[in-house]
Amino acid sequence: MLPNQAEEPKISIAEFVEKAPLEMQLEVLSGTNSLQKKYINSPRIQKLGLALAGFAHYIHKGRIQIVGQSETAYLDQLNQKERSYAFENLDLNKICCILITKDLKPSKELINTALKNDVPILKTHLVSSTAIGKVSKLLQKILAPKITIHGVMLGMYGLGLLIIGESGIGKSECALDLITKGHRLISDDVVTIKKIGDILEGSSPELTKEHLEIRGLGIINIRDLFGVSSIGQNKQIDLCIELKKWDEVVDVDRLGLEMQEENIFDIKIPKFILPVSSGRYITTLVETAVRVFLLKISGHDAAKKLIDKHNKVIRKSI
Amino acid sequence: MLRKDVKVINQLGLHARAAAQLVRLAGTFESKIKIIRKESQIYADAKSILSVLTLAASKGTDLIIEVEGADEGIALEKVLELFSEGFGEL
Repeated sequence: MLPNQAEEPKISIAEFVEKAPLEMQLEVLSGTNSLQKKYINSPRIQKLGLALAGFAHYIHKGRIQIVGQSETAYLDQLNQKERSYAFENLDLNKICCILITKDLKPSKELINTALKNDVPILKTHLVSSTAIGKVSKLLQKILAPKITIHGVMLGMYGLGLLIIGESGIGKSECALDLITKGHRLISDDVVTIKKIGDILEGSSPELTKEHLEIRGLGIINIRDLFGVSSIGQNKQIDLCIELKKWDEVVDVDRLGLEMQEENIFDIKIPKFILPVSSGRYITTLVETAVRVFLLKISGHDAAKKLIDKHNKVIRKSI
Repeated sequence: MLRKDVKVINQLGLHARAAAQLVRLAGTFESKIKIIRKESQIYADAKSILSVLTLAASKGTDLIIEVEGADEGIALEKVLELFSEGFGEL
């Protein structure tokens, strides 16, 4: 399955300030004019220390630069001339924003340089380690690589299930059926997938959220029809089910020993391929597949148990 | 209807994976395919995995393949081939 769109994620400083957790109590000290123009594109931060000491080659443009206790202590023991030089030595175009932690008072030279070059300076009362943790967590979420794929996502028995398959194979009808059985719709037709660390999180695009398209009925609103408990928000993708036409499935696993995999963002999601044909009640099959998977991940594999039993019988009769 | 005797020759017998191969092959034919244990006359439908497993045929077991249907000739030939190749284990 090919992702049909890949975006280079970035966030402006203004957006970052807006989305930052309240407990950070971010204050903007300078650079208000460039808040919209400068962007963060990496969830990793940098500490400005080494650059201030003269080694500025490794400054990354899209990372937040932290000025904490050690940077401040270093600057304090310099004389005014040396301090000015430390800041002038930096390539300020390469700095998207500076975050001062622990409510430290920035030196006059820093403020002057920042004002002159319109570099945003933010301040928080949190100590560096806590601030870095919060910033990284937020940025990881916002800057996670994102793709959208064609499919349906549901929340079932606490798991996130992604159903894929060709158009017209009955994914949406299957979803509707599952919703009437008490499962939750996360997204129909278009699923936005974010890679956060080593997990995949699926969600619905804001516009089509809570809606389903059923041929013959058109677009319907699931929350209005079935209530708030029929809707799920973003969720980790645990399992994938691919619906395929019966005659296109070459090798159906008759034992159920081997699990297929769907590769999204280089993360392997366990997958069942379910052949669709008349007389096969897809909803029940999907529901059962999720139950089988739940048992499997809790260490109970029915197929393996039966086969072990069978092996013993065969061996006994030799 | 065609009938033919066959012996299980592979080391592991008609174990799960071999059974799965047989079932998959049998499923490609229209004919009805029966596998019968010679000594007990217990039989299995070659298109059903659980049925084939109940045969519990180990190495050396004598079986009869019984095929009936439009493509019985080719079906019997292919099934016998699978047995004689020891399910790809030889």
